[in-house]
Amino acid sequence: MTLIEDRDAAVTPVTDRLRKLTGIDGRGPELLPLDAGEQYRFSFAMDACVGCHSCEVACAEQNNTPVDKAWRRVGELEGGVFPTTRRLNLSMACNHCLEPTCLSGCPTQAYTKLQNGVVRHDAAECIGCQYCIWNCPYEVPVYDKATKVVAKCDMCLPRLSEGQSPACVLACPTRAITVEPVNVAAWRADPDGADAPGLPPASITLSATRIVTPAGLPDLVAATDHAVEPEDPHWPLVALTLLTQLSLGTVASTVVAEAAGGAGRQGLAGGAVGAALAGAVALAASLFHLGRPTVAFKALRNWRTSWLSREVALLSAFSGASLAYAAAWQWGDSLGITRGPRLALGIGAVATGVAGVYASGRLYLVPARPVWNSRRTLVSFFATGLATGPLLAALCLDRSALAPSLTTGLMAAAAAGGVVQLGAVRHLLRTVRGRTDRQHRGTATLLTGRFRTLLAARVTAVFVTVALLAWTFTVPLAGPSAGGRLATALGVAALGELAGRYLFYVTVVPFRVAGSFFSGR
Amino acid sequence: MTATPPLSNGRRVSRPGAAGLTRLLGLGTRSEDAADAARAASTSPRAYVADDRFGTLNETRKPDTWVRTTCGYCAVGCGMYVGVKDGRAVAVQGDPDHPVNAGRLCPKGLSEHQTLAAEGRLTTPLLRRSPGGGQEPASWDEALGATVVGFNRLLAEHGPEAVAVISTGQLVTEEFYALGKLCRAGLGLRHYDGNTTLCMSSAVAGYKRSFGSDGPPGAYEDLDQADVILLVGANVADNHPLLAPRVLDNTGATVIVVDPRVTKTAMVADLHLAVRPRSDIALVNGMLKVIIDAGLVDRAYVDAHTEGFAELAEHVAAYGLDRVAAECGVPAEQIREAALAFGRAERAFVAWTMGVNHSVQGTETVTLLNTLCLVTGNVGRAGAAPFSLTGQCNAMGTREAGGTASLPGYRNWDDPAARAEMAALWGVPVDRLPTERGRAYPDIIDGVLDGTIKGLWVIATNPVVSFPNRARLEAAIRKLDLFVVQDGFATPTTAMADVVLPAAIWGEKGGTYTNAERRVSRVRKAVEPPGQAKADFDIFLAMAQAFGLAGEIYPGWATPEDAFTDWARVSAGRLCDYSGITYDRIDAAGGVQWPCTPATEAVGGTPRIYADGVFQTPSGRAKLWCVTPQPISDAPSPRYPFLLNTGRTVEHWHTRTKTGRVAVLDHLAPEAWVEVNPADAERLRVGSGDLVRVASRRGVVDDLLVRVTAIVREGEVFVPFHYDERCANRLTVDEFDPISREPNYKQSAVRIERM
Repeated sequence: MTLIEDRDAAVTPVTDRLRKLTGIDGRGPELLPLDAGEQYRFSFAMDACVGCHSCEVACAEQNNTPVDKAWRRVGELEGGVFPTTRRLNLSMACNHCLEPTCLSGCPTQAYTKLQNGVVRHDAAECIGCQYCIWNCPYEVPVYDKATKVVAKCDMCLPRLSEGQSPACVLACPTRAITVEPVNVAAWRADPDGADAPGLPPASITLSATRIVTPAGLPDLVAATDHAVEPEDPHWPLVALTLLTQLSLGTVASTVVAEAAGGAGRQGLAGGAVGAALAGAVALAASLFHLGRPTVAFKALRNWRTSWLSREVALLSAFSGASLAYAAAWQWGDSLGITRGPRLALGIGAVATGVAGVYASGRLYLVPARPVWNSRRTLVSFFATGLATGPLLAALCLDRSALAPSLTTGLMAAAAAGGVVQLGAVRHLLRTVRGRTDRQHRGTATLLTGRFRTLLAARVTAVFVTVALLAWTFTVPLAGPSAGGRLATALGVAALGELAGRYLFYVTVVPFRVAGSFFSGR
Repeated sequence: MTATPPLSNGRRVSRPGAAGLTRLLGLGTRSEDAADAARAASTSPRAYVADDRFGTLNETRKPDTWVRTTCGYCAVGCGMYVGVKDGRAVAVQGDPDHPVNAGRLCPKGLSEHQTLAAEGRLTTPLLRRSPGGGQEPASWDEALGATVVGFNRLLAEHGPEAVAVISTGQLVTEEFYALGKLCRAGLGLRHYDGNTTLCMSSAVAGYKRSFGSDGPPGAYEDLDQADVILLVGANVADNHPLLAPRVLDNTGATVIVVDPRVTKTAMVADLHLAVRPRSDIALVNGMLKVIIDAGLVDRAYVDAHTEGFAELAEHVAAYGLDRVAAECGVPAEQIREAALAFGRAERAFVAWTMGVNHSVQGTETVTLLNTLCLVTGNVGRAGAAPFSLTGQCNAMGTREAGGTASLPGYRNWDDPAARAEMAALWGVPVDRLPTERGRAYPDIIDGVLDGTIKGLWVIATNPVVSFPNRARLEAAIRKLDLFVVQDGFATPTTAMADVVLPAAIWGEKGGTYTNAERRVSRVRKAVEPPGQAKADFDIFLAMAQAFGLAGEIYPGWATPEDAFTDWARVSAGRLCDYSGITYDRIDAAGGVQWPCTPATEAVGGTPRIYADGVFQTPSGRAKLWCVTPQPISDAPSPRYPFLLNTGRTVEHWHTRTKTGRVAVLDHLAPEAWVEVNPADAERLRVGSGDLVRVASRRGVVDDLLVRVTAIVREGEVFVPFHYDERCANRLTVDEFDPISREPNYKQSAVRIERM
């Protein structure tokens, strides 16, 4: 049939055509060399992605990652009304940011920003503290229980350095994912394309990834958004923060009592020892948080930019100082330590403790976790010390020798600490309910839904504590039951603080990249 | 192999903090960058090594040898290499030189080596030695003996109708040819079919009615060259993932998707016609009317190569746009736009899959799509074809060589000349061959239930999960006197068997697959099967031996290539002519498209058939069919108000026998879900993540996860069919196409209840 053959005229051999399109040598599209001032970055064309998930599997194969610790994940966003529904896929790995907060927050300097732009994580230097996971608004680093360190996408550095495309780029059948050079200064000045639906604001870390977003999108909801799951409670950190704050409050109360000269020697010694032990136990407990506690000392390295490094340094110093203060009480006489130097030791301990608790609080002020990123966190951390420390001190002090005004003062301080915590809870609830973003709304949902009983208990504990203290105040303190009442007040206050701190960890909703339907479960 | 070489491009430029202080504190010293990198590599949990062929790879994925083969999941037929190290499959890479995929693979292909080390393999024959007893390990001799004795007894006592075989689209062509020969020429079985009836039989029957023979006329390269690509009930992005990029790469084409769901494919289309379920027939009738009215019919082609145009024109005259728009639930203007685009296209290509085939009117819908192409002259030309996208890796192979719906080489059972020819080619008496195809798959199940069929041999398929109306299917299996299942993995079906024959799977045996575009590719053995598992080919040889038939039907056969050579001989002169195809030619071309005779010049064979406009009908003309839509029988009612649609997702394959055991895939989609439109969800007071009960007239599925999404229409819900645990086929209606016998998986009425 001539008719038919005529129409067949200009047909390119299919293999030639595919070769041109896909890079036939199995090493993917050509990797352009970098000019001065340039780095590599991922580019992702949302409208070219059909959601095949090949990139995720190729990444897992290339990097041998555990299935639940993927370095590249494909999320889904949906909007619109049938039949003009839009569902967009978001294939994201590390963004190799210009201002990587994983790097600045890392206490051990395990992260490096390479000249080619890759933000590289060195497993050998990692102690498994997972602070980078909190710091990264994209939740890129993942903690692997098997290796006890975190790991993340390095843009397939072993391939990149040989001029080969990363596995995801090579596997993407629609070439939605590419690696391209970007002029760092130009991108910093105008990061147009760094923001996209389903992503945290790129300004937090100056993400280098360029997202090509289709025009005319409806409002989009991530497939993960139906589920808000609580975060890990981080029990060792609950212990660390509570006990250091208790310790600070106790040391401070003891020092105040000594300065006021209103307590007996034995009691003051007890208070100092109790405080010092609490601090030491706290530090020991915190080691359980680390994947590799034996190399915990590496956490001191990055004191210049990491609040975690500073926390470790300052709380260690506080623990040392309060132990010295306690020792000065126990063995000071035989060593010839007089009141002046001892008091100076105490004041020094309090000063390092304040700095330590401040650093401890500051490390939670990360933009990637907006509900934490508030002065409320700092206030609440100090208030914990105030609500519990004076009571522990009062229990240890020789109450018969204590000036009534001092006793009253300690109890009033503890009550005030509780009231401050009530204010913090109120502020938290008002804040999270007043905002519409997923992070705040999610916290509100958790606090008033799944965890509402615990939240009620936490608030009730303050009221009970204050009531117990008022009762204690109105009945002579030297009576035989006074110690029991004080101990009960401390116990209730401590349980309240424990509940509050647990809620602090589990109800925070981090920024995260829109996930798939199942990744939200 | 050594560790990664020094990083030429990766010099460290900044590191926060004070190296000085750490040195002062003795906390570690910083050495040169390259040394750093080397140290990191040596202490890292990940090491990378160079591979000559595929660049730097993870050490765990670096093989000693790469085995060139073809993917064993769907019928796209992607070329790939399996990496083998120490006798284990450790990696897969796409074949950059393969004409189908040019190196790209979908997530199932990328992780396919993991199926070879997956848990749950059958490693020894199993035998239920007493009725109601448990399955116990047995020797091959014992298992084959029990099968042969049992089947022979049933055949002797009840005749050739008493034993049936249901095979698959998963074996290599050589095995299908061998099995067909055993069933038909050896045992003279009347009832032998494959699970291909659950997916492709409507395409087969539709091609036969339109063109006089099975055989998809086009090729994938038509996707690259078409001006208009019309995808009907074909969600290539999920189900034929490597064809989606070929559709998208053709940036000049207008892509029109007809699908009741806003699938991944619909979302990247230029025009999505979100038709109501089963309204595709009205739609195409309406499109034909627009095309005829606009004078876009290719009169020269119609006059020269088709018959029935006058009747067609008269028939579709009743399908005015307003009526069609109302029936389809799609704006009239969209239908007109689609019709005009198709009619005006120089090269228009229609591809369809299960949205068309899985229907009681599947065959008729296929003939209608063929008709659409015929009246516009879009058959047998580059970029122009009515093209069925096949499901299984080698459904085509069994259609051509298997001897189920037709004798090998598309020879019709009821054609005495064809039967005589076949008997002569095989050297068996002609009366040994049945005079009709026998019962199709669903009719075999009916035959079991009515007591006609007492023995059943199921090969490489999992009907308990995949057949509609699971309760009825399970009742049928329990009624069997002898139930033999041959498979690679333990499945809900093997669990019910009296005899279990452990088979090698893809990667453990060799042969050929034929993909949806008639391309014959080689599959190779990369590793040994586990335990006592054997290649299906060897099982058939042993079975024939045990039946005392081997000398007659498998003369001198030892390897699959012997079967291939015999099949190529038998196919000579037929439409699906393999006579010019050899293993060597396949290797040289990376895949050869039939028809291919020794005289075919192009090493890769023939990209498309019917280029001369001569069809396989007695008149040589293609037949135009008039099709009238039928109402949905299991339509929604007040008691069952939702219409259930079933289908697939990209991460899984069929009943998850393999993909459910590949962690990286299963993690992406670990359980079934039901898609519910937001308006329905509000009425039902359910939200995403809730668990619901879905019930139909046939069964109930509990604890199904809700996904609220506007990709389904109000009143319609969708459940993926892959999951045994939340089996969609407990709900589906057991209703079948009267011509092709394909099940109507796509429309069943259901109710949704909060748990």
